[in-house]
Amino acid sequence: MKKTTDVHRGTLALMVLKTLDVLGPLHGYGLARRIEQISKDGLTLNTGTLYPLLLRLEQEGAITSERRPSENNRSARFYRLTRAGRKQLEAETRAWEQTTAQISRFFAVKAKDLP
Amino acid sequence: MTILRRLASIASWILRRDRAEQQLDDEIRSFVEMSTAERVEEGIPPAEARRLALAEIGGVERIKERVRMGRHGALLDDLGRDVRYAFRLVARQRTFTAVIVATLALGIGANTAIFSILDGLLLRTLPIEHPERLAQLVAAPPSEQDSWTYPIWHEIQRHSVRFDGAFVWTGPDAEFDLSTGGESRFVNGVWASAGAFAVLGVRPVLGRLFEPSDDIRGGGSSGPVVVISHAFWQTYFSGTRDVIGRTLTLERVPLTIVGVTPRGFFGVVAGRSFDVVVPLGVEPLIRGSESRLDRRTSWWLQVFVRLKPGQSREAAAAVMQTLKPGIREATLPPTRPGRNNDRYLADPFTLVDAERGPSSRLREGYSRPLLVLMVVVGLVLLIACANIANLLLARATARHHEWSVRLALGATPGRLARQLMIESLLLAAIGAAAGVFVADSGSRLLIAQLASDSVSLELPLDARMLAFTAGVALIAALVFGVAPAWRATRGVPIDAMKDRGRVSGASASTPLANGLVLVQVALSLVLLIGAGLFLRSFNGLTRVPLGFEGDRVLLTVIDARRADLAPSARLATYERIHERVLAIPGVEHAAVSITAPLGEMWIRRIEVSGSPLRGSDAPGVGPEGFGSTDRPIPANAPLAVFNGITSGWIATFGTPLLAGRDISRNDATGSPRVALVNQAFARKFLGGANPVGHTMHATREPGAPIEIVGLVADAVYRDIREATLPTAYVPLPQSVDRSLVEDPNMTAPAVITLSVRPTSGQPSLLTKGVAAAISEVNPTLALTFEPLDRRVSETLTRERLLAILSAAFGVLALVMASIGLYGVTSYAVSLRRTEIGIRMALGAARSAVIGLVLRRVALLVAGGLVVGLAVAVWVSRFVATLLYGLQPRDPLTILAASATLALIAAVAGWLPAHHASRLDPTQVLRDG
Repeated sequence: MKKTTDVHRGTLALMVLKTLDVLGPLHGYGLARRIEQISKDGLTLNTGTLYPLLLRLEQEGAITSERRPSENNRSARFYRLTRAGRKQLEAETRAWEQTTAQISRFFAVKAKDLP
Repeated sequence: MTILRRLASIASWILRRDRAEQQLDDEIRSFVEMSTAERVEEGIPPAEARRLALAEIGGVERIKERVRMGRHGALLDDLGRDVRYAFRLVARQRTFTAVIVATLALGIGANTAIFSILDGLLLRTLPIEHPERLAQLVAAPPSEQDSWTYPIWHEIQRHSVRFDGAFVWTGPDAEFDLSTGGESRFVNGVWASAGAFAVLGVRPVLGRLFEPSDDIRGGGSSGPVVVISHAFWQTYFSGTRDVIGRTLTLERVPLTIVGVTPRGFFGVVAGRSFDVVVPLGVEPLIRGSESRLDRRTSWWLQVFVRLKPGQSREAAAAVMQTLKPGIREATLPPTRPGRNNDRYLADPFTLVDAERGPSSRLREGYSRPLLVLMVVVGLVLLIACANIANLLLARATARHHEWSVRLALGATPGRLARQLMIESLLLAAIGAAAGVFVADSGSRLLIAQLASDSVSLELPLDARMLAFTAGVALIAALVFGVAPAWRATRGVPIDAMKDRGRVSGASASTPLANGLVLVQVALSLVLLIGAGLFLRSFNGLTRVPLGFEGDRVLLTVIDARRADLAPSARLATYERIHERVLAIPGVEHAAVSITAPLGEMWIRRIEVSGSPLRGSDAPGVGPEGFGSTDRPIPANAPLAVFNGITSGWIATFGTPLLAGRDISRNDATGSPRVALVNQAFARKFLGGANPVGHTMHATREPGAPIEIVGLVADAVYRDIREATLPTAYVPLPQSVDRSLVEDPNMTAPAVITLSVRPTSGQPSLLTKGVAAAISEVNPTLALTFEPLDRRVSETLTRERLLAILSAAFGVLALVMASIGLYGVTSYAVSLRRTEIGIRMALGAARSAVIGLVLRRVALLVAGGLVVGLAVAVWVSRFVATLLYGLQPRDPLTILAASATLALIAAVAGWLPAHHASRLDPTQVLRDG
């Protein structure tokens, strides 16, 4: 079994949106695997977390879903980013970048840098 | 996200719930399939691949549940599901449900019943337009006088435009006789000014209400008119519509009915209802020579004003105050020697809030008893809730397995708790619905009991009552539902795997159940002590030495006001009646008197020879005169109560003569003036010395002094609850107080009481003979019959009711607490069956087993008693004023109540203990 890393609250939604943005429509299983892949296997996505999250994003209108045949001809539900979802992603990306920039500045600070 | 969108989402989810469930299934299945397929491609055997995929996904139901919880409207959906489930459960467990619903119906019903009366009497605003703008005119404290003379009202009326109207509404204390002769049939009457209905904003259901012309003396253009109440219209006239224009005879005066007031309108005094309303202007017709319209010393009207919109009570009172000097000057009463009108002129006019009607004797007399009863029924409900909580806890144990399974399947503890709360709420709702019916009949029964205090209350089952009932039910559900719900959150899923019989967590409920029983015992003790106090208090009152034999006397009030009898001929007529009645077979003694025990009071300021008490206008000295008042008689004021009696009085009432002689026939109008006095009189005026031979005279009345010729034993005069009043009895022919009457020819009062004592048997059996004898003398006299013992018992209505109700609720509490104790002990025994079995197998004696169980019971009961005692001691001071001849911490009552409770508790605890000692050890050990 892989070691599980806890995902910071709220970041999983961002990961899902970004993954859909980059890779286009995906089904639930594919999404889970891709996220694990991208995060270099450091993260096991709990199905118990993923599906409620997908439901929430769909109810918020950030994603939409439809049934269609998958690559190996199984019928599956594919999730796709909506226009609202893209806007949300952009906004959250900006916010996230700002936060990380702030945090890294703090991490980089040394006593001698301060007057 | 907008609310609209959210609502749409909820709606779509509810509408397409099945599809959403299908989608969820598909999602998870495809996840598992894809995961399996990938593993198969990696070379893992299909069966193993599927197992791994399932293991990775974890609990499928758990995921589904989490997704469901995330859906919009999920809460609504769950609630619906929980309610349906609760309904199924409640319907399935019939006995269980019936017991709880019956307990709740009683508890909630009692609360609603008492509250409806409390509300009607104390809290509800008057059923009129804008009750908050109604104010009553009173003199400023400390006099608190709220009655006014007609001349004062006449002046105020001229200034009524300064307010949004002013009016008089006095009563209902006037009893009008409907009969035209013989035995009287009374209706409750109100005197009102013409504008009363208009200012109150009351509209007729039939005909018209008063017009200004109706209030002209002797009747206006329509002649003397009367307005009747809806209830009187229904009962006396069977609600016929042609009642308008008909004649109603009151006090032998024919009045024309012009209108009917709406249903539910009772006037301004809560708890009292009226039958007829008569304009003030008609008063001279009805009361004839005793009309009070021109008397500047007759204080009999209650005056109300309606504030203008936006006018504050203070502003209106200021207006009143500016009017005061003029009004006072214009209505000065005639001065008497030695008195002046300074106080009359100085007394201010104030306005008090009359939103709920004026304060009344009824309200003052019953507010505390009702509050006490409210607390009592509240405690009873609390005890009932504790019982129900225990029942639910016991059942929770039975359902422990179900909950463990549900927890194991992914239900959250909160979810289970909510499910249980919904069940509790459902039970409470059913109980409340049944309770409404209990309350309805219960409050009617109570009001009927109060009828002798002429309480009349409409108790509509309106939104207010339903809201109260719902509130009580909600609180009850919280009280009895929280403990089981809290217990449910502590379930452990692993218990689902265990055998049903060996659930370790179940014992966790016993401390809680024990706590509940302890509370029950404590509250029951409080109620029992209360019941004991009220019972003993009532019992004490029924045993007060009356000083007369109440069960041997029939009273007949003879009213000559409307009779064909000249004031100068009254005395002779009364004496003839006295003789005729004495001639009736079966009559042993009879007497005629001005007043009778527990009736009107005649109070005079006197001076007694050799007494240090002298007449003075000391402040706080009560009024002289004749009438009914609750005011105490100051011990340091030279005041005594009087009665005018004929010979035979002390024999009729059985009051012993202690010294001197009785009043005889020879004590006539012209003979030397004499009097009998009682022991209280001798104590007050002469320090307990023999009063015979002393003289006295009424301070205000000129004339020869009165010689005290006899000393009689103390007897109750006005109220059983008070110390005997200093009383003087003077011969009826010598008793006309010249300072009180205006007709110089009058020989005796218009209203007198005839008291008759039979040789044997029920006094009331004499009614017919007495009526016939009086009618032979004068057929036009109005008569009211009343056995003296009924009058005595009616003065104790309040105490009797409080004693009966508190005893009934005390017993109910005791029963419920013992059931609770029995239940908890039985349950504890059932949990310890194995242990007890082992002990017995190892040789423990039966008595040791009983001791084992009873020790727990004793501990619980002792704890309950200690807590209960502390609470009882603390709350008892609130009932002190309701007790007679008893301290609120009466040790005997407290001891008796504790002993009763301990005894009942011992029985309730002994039964399961006995049962435990009869366990067959081999059987128990075999069962495991």
